[in-house]
Amino acid sequence: MYHFRLKPVKIGVLTLLSVFLYSGTLPAKTPAVPDTENCLLCHRYPQMGRFDETGKKRVFYINEKMFANSVHGNLRCKSCHIGLDKIPHTDIKKVDCSTKCHIEEPSTNKEFSHINMIEKYEASVHGKTVNGKVKPNADDLPTCKYCHTNRMYNPFRAVWGKSEALSEETLVRCMGCHTEERWAKRFYSHFTHRMRRRRNPSEIIELCTSCHENREKMARHGLETIETYKDTFHFTQVKYGVENAPDCIDCHVPVNYSTHYIRPKTDPTSPVYIANRTMTCSNQGGLKVCHPGATVKFASGRVHAYGVKAKIAAASNLKEPNQSGNLVVERAQAEIEKKEIFRYKVLKAIRLFYQVLIALVVGSMVVHQTLDYVRTRKRNQKHH
Amino acid sequence: MFNASETEEKIAPAKTINGRSENESDREKRYFFRLNLSERLQHLIFVGCFLVLVITGFMTKLPKNMLDWLGETGNTVFYYRSMLHRAAGVIMILTSVYHIYYLIVKPAGRRLLLDMLPKVRDITDMISNIRYYLGLEENPPEFDRFSYKHKLEYGALFAGTTLMSVTGMLMWTEHHWSKFLIDISTLIHGMEAILACLAIMIWHLYEVHLRPHKFPIDHMWITGVIDEDEMKAEYSIHYKKIMNDPELQKIYIKRSDKIEQGI
Repeated sequence: MYHFRLKPVKIGVLTLLSVFLYSGTLPAKTPAVPDTENCLLCHRYPQMGRFDETGKKRVFYINEKMFANSVHGNLRCKSCHIGLDKIPHTDIKKVDCSTKCHIEEPSTNKEFSHINMIEKYEASVHGKTVNGKVKPNADDLPTCKYCHTNRMYNPFRAVWGKSEALSEETLVRCMGCHTEERWAKRFYSHFTHRMRRRRNPSEIIELCTSCHENREKMARHGLETIETYKDTFHFTQVKYGVENAPDCIDCHVPVNYSTHYIRPKTDPTSPVYIANRTMTCSNQGGLKVCHPGATVKFASGRVHAYGVKAKIAAASNLKEPNQSGNLVVERAQAEIEKKEIFRYKVLKAIRLFYQVLIALVVGSMVVHQTLDYVRTRKRNQKHH
Repeated sequence: MFNASETEEKIAPAKTINGRSENESDREKRYFFRLNLSERLQHLIFVGCFLVLVITGFMTKLPKNMLDWLGETGNTVFYYRSMLHRAAGVIMILTSVYHIYYLIVKPAGRRLLLDMLPKVRDITDMISNIRYYLGLEENPPEFDRFSYKHKLEYGALFAGTTLMSVTGMLMWTEHHWSKFLIDISTLIHGMEAILACLAIMIWHLYEVHLRPHKFPIDHMWITGVIDEDEMKAEYSIHYKKIMNDPELQKIYIKRSDKIEQGI
């Protein structure tokens, strides 16, 4: 490393020029990203990052263009990342989605944060606390980032989807008065983004089953895994990609509530609460009209096929207290009524009957026809 | 058992090789009806419906990774699958209803029903036939128009079609019934489908495709007839009854210019 020997004035002038040079060019290149603190000075480099204590590679690279085109593209870095006063950012706090990000929510003029959704989420079955106390095995529960994947780069134009032409035509009408293009596009996207779900039914099922098909995880919370949904005709339609095929959200999210507010079936707001069933199956506020003629008898039945809880309840003697300490067994004995056990047993018996019948009948047929073939060939050969 | 008649003496004793007699020339061969036109049509429609139902039905059991490549077209494919399945089901049910009418009202149908009724001799025939397969007997038993094989298959057809139709209709009108009933219907419909498919593939298709003298395919389902040699070999009792009764000959023997009438 070598050092320059310059006069102080020259140094001062050069520094000033550099500052003007840098501070002038970066924002000018990307007017979309309001990087008033010039974070991109360092964070625009792809190699920017470090290895943490566990050896995991942390990437701190920000792709300006992608970020500018994302739903969070209007925000300053400091709006979400708290504790950036020092470089390097040793004081930085983990991003909390309930942070107020200094955007004014236009309908109430209050400072915006995602706290509305977070509060709903905390009150749902997926919330970490119940009655103020933290649930056991709370680490199993999904946090914001589990479902809202790649929240930083979710492009705001992504869901214009099939109707690119329609969106262009609509935008032309908006921009007749709202002439600033960038504003008009963001507003249009913000709106249309919410007119349909980001994920299709198949993707929703993949997301939900990522936890709900994990046997150990479900057992910790006294739940049975939901592969029995995959035995239903509902899932057959999802497999084919049928429009409006019923996925998890269609039956478990209360109508006119958000996905963040899934409640247990014992809660009157839940669509699978027994009194709400007929409405859930027949007509969900006009949005999904799947079984319009559904009767109470039909709708009150069990949708997912009988699973491991029915098996446990059928096998165990209900009069004996639960000695295993296993949460699933306990809940099986509590939740499955005698009627359900009877139905489970009937279905099991029919299945077994058919399995035996098929084995016997088809087995006999194979034997019979093989014998016929062998004997016929033998007879034909003898006559030759 | 049968009166020796002039006609019997004229006919050379059956000496068959592969079901073909080496004594008679083709010009003098008689053909005997096994299925009349109505029965052939009923069978043909039933076959068509069965194929459509099996394919569209088992499409619902395909695993997800096989269906992913359908992509956007999956929605349309499923729509037509569902529609075809129901349409074929309705046609099958209507054909079956006609068949019951045929069995009760039409003379040929009544004959079919009477001949198809199970008798005690069917059990002895079955035992005897299996003994023949095992080499414990020199010759197979003699069969009338329908052997125990036909009767078993016909009975299975009756039972299977009834079950499938009833459970199918229940599922089609599912919202009227309790979920438990629908669960039972779905289970039976699926299991019976497996049973019927395997039965057809292993039993029936062997009978009509793979039996050595029928290979590659028996044409009887189109023409309705079998030749005299096969008649004598397979259905000898029926054959003797026909040759002894002019009325039966009118029904069962195919008329053509080359064949003398009234023998």
